[in-house]
Amino acid sequence: MADHPDDPKDPRDPQDPVDPFPTDFPQPPPSRFPPVGQEIMPPVETPASPPADPVDPPSDWNAGADAHDLPLDTKRPSRLKVLGQMAFPPPPPADEEVLAARDRRWTTRVILVVAVFMLVFNGASIQNWARQQAPNWFTVTVQQVADVWMTQVSQLGADRPRQAIRDAYQDAHDARFPGQDPA
Amino acid sequence: MLFPTLAFGVFFLFVYFTSWSLDRENGRRKVFLLLASWFFYAQWDWRFVGLLILSAVLNWGVAALIARNDNATQRKWLVALGVLVNLLILGFFKYYGFFIEQMADLLTQVGWERDLPLLQVVLPVGISFFTFQGISYVVDVHRRTAEPADSLLDVMLLMSFFPQLVAGPIIRASDLLPQFARSPRLTREAATLGLLLIVWGLFKKTIVASELSVNLVDPVFFDPSAYGAFDIAAAVYGYAVQIYCDFSAYSDMAIGTGLLLGYSFPRNFDQPYRASSMQQFWRRWHISLSSWLRDYLYVPLGGGKKGLWSSSLNVMITMLLGGLWHGAAWTFVAWGALHGGVQVIERLGRAAFGGRKVIPTAVGVLVTFHIVCLGWILFRAETFELAWAMLEGLGRMGPLAVTTPFMLGLIVIGLGMHWLPPRAAEGLALRLKAAPSLTLGLLVGAAFLLVEAMRPDGVAPFIYFQF
Repeated sequence: MADHPDDPKDPRDPQDPVDPFPTDFPQPPPSRFPPVGQEIMPPVETPASPPADPVDPPSDWNAGADAHDLPLDTKRPSRLKVLGQMAFPPPPPADEEVLAARDRRWTTRVILVVAVFMLVFNGASIQNWARQQAPNWFTVTVQQVADVWMTQVSQLGADRPRQAIRDAYQDAHDARFPGQDPA
Repeated sequence: MLFPTLAFGVFFLFVYFTSWSLDRENGRRKVFLLLASWFFYAQWDWRFVGLLILSAVLNWGVAALIARNDNATQRKWLVALGVLVNLLILGFFKYYGFFIEQMADLLTQVGWERDLPLLQVVLPVGISFFTFQGISYVVDVHRRTAEPADSLLDVMLLMSFFPQLVAGPIIRASDLLPQFARSPRLTREAATLGLLLIVWGLFKKTIVASELSVNLVDPVFFDPSAYGAFDIAAAVYGYAVQIYCDFSAYSDMAIGTGLLLGYSFPRNFDQPYRASSMQQFWRRWHISLSSWLRDYLYVPLGGGKKGLWSSSLNVMITMLLGGLWHGAAWTFVAWGALHGGVQVIERLGRAAFGGRKVIPTAVGVLVTFHIVCLGWILFRAETFELAWAMLEGLGRMGPLAVTTPFMLGLIVIGLGMHWLPPRAAEGLALRLKAAPSLTLGLLVGAAFLLVEAMRPDGVAPFIYFQF
């Protein structure tokens, strides 16, 4: 780069000074939507892009652009959303492994919800199971824990749905045809 | 340890959490699943875990020798050896007593009465399933339709994997070994379908099959002379529903359990009582067995290559042996003969009418269903005398004793399942997979509660465990 006016010029250096505000604009294309009364011009064919020029173009003016081609969706995202995205940028798209782990966690949560649901509403099954086992330290312990658990959940009324279903089922089970011997 | 029990629920939760915590180490995961499967099997009889291991080692060794051998004759001898060893194991445990008794009867009839060595051989649960799996593995490696397993571990897990160990489906090496080769992936869709199949299977087994068995089918088949025609007819229809709900429930729960562990098993039932011919019935009933019999028995016999009579003979042989596979008794052979005979008649009919459809579908469904029901009488009755007593009873009027509105309702539900949209569970799983985990958990929990609240205390073993 030349630092002094007397220094020999380097031919590779751009012309000095560089005009930051070029005025030599090419003629803009005629609009396809002229004022009323003027003749409609055919759309301008954008010329094929010229071969890459090592020198910077004089300006960023795009001769092929037309304001009417701009997207109409001018709705701006809410400021809160923009702010939120600045504060918490969205993560990059998840890869296969992350998706698999997400699905596994989802399944595990479903299974845990089912297990807890059954523990609350179907605790009688554990009680029944423990009563049917041969008594030993483990089964007796399970039975005692199940008894306490059932006492507690029945105070909340959690055993009622099961009992209601069972009663309705038993009624259907015991129904007989007219004239048939009862169960 | 039966599927619809609290003990299995606790066991499965332990296996689920531990196996997925090992998902980055596929080898360790498989070792854990193998140990869990052996523990599961040992709950019936720990001694037969050794038989399971021995069978896996034999099949792995023979398949490895076949794969490394390029000599066609030696490969043939090796595959014959593999099949023979499997059949010897199956024959000893399942048919020894039957054949000795038949031999003794025969010798007595010709005047050479002898004291033959009678043994009380305990039948290992699921032996028919894992020996058929072993045979298919060896034959597939010989046919080069399946790659030999990477390790003995894979073959052991193939033959011991607990969801399908005791009553199928008969999963082939080409279906499961590639899944063992990589770490499994659990998707929301698979998990949802798995849970739905488990709940559905639980409903079919613990409510429909169990209630029909205890309150209708067992009493009537125990003493048909005590009941009238309506009760006997209801018991026959009831058994058709019971055996479908019992066996397909096991398959559903096996497939569902496999899906939750990341493995996919083939479908085993496809609304069989919708079949409009016996041939179609066998494409819908116990599909893994019927396709096994087709590929490893019917096709090697010659299949349908040599014309109508040859194919009819091959169908008959296949169905007779298929009947014998179900149990060492002449009633099962007669059941196979009925199914084979009807299929032969269907083939002859199709040939006579040039393949034209002469029977309307609705009539075909009705006729096929009743022939299947006739076969179930032979299948369920322990003796021909009992089967005959059932048939005789169909002509004897009497009051309704065990047929109640509830039993009729269960029969209607069991048959109505066959007219649900095909692949209904898959469709429902697709819709539910987008639900939040809490919502789906509550829905599945409510379905479990509904079934658990209605089911009778205790649960009978699955019918197909005895085979």
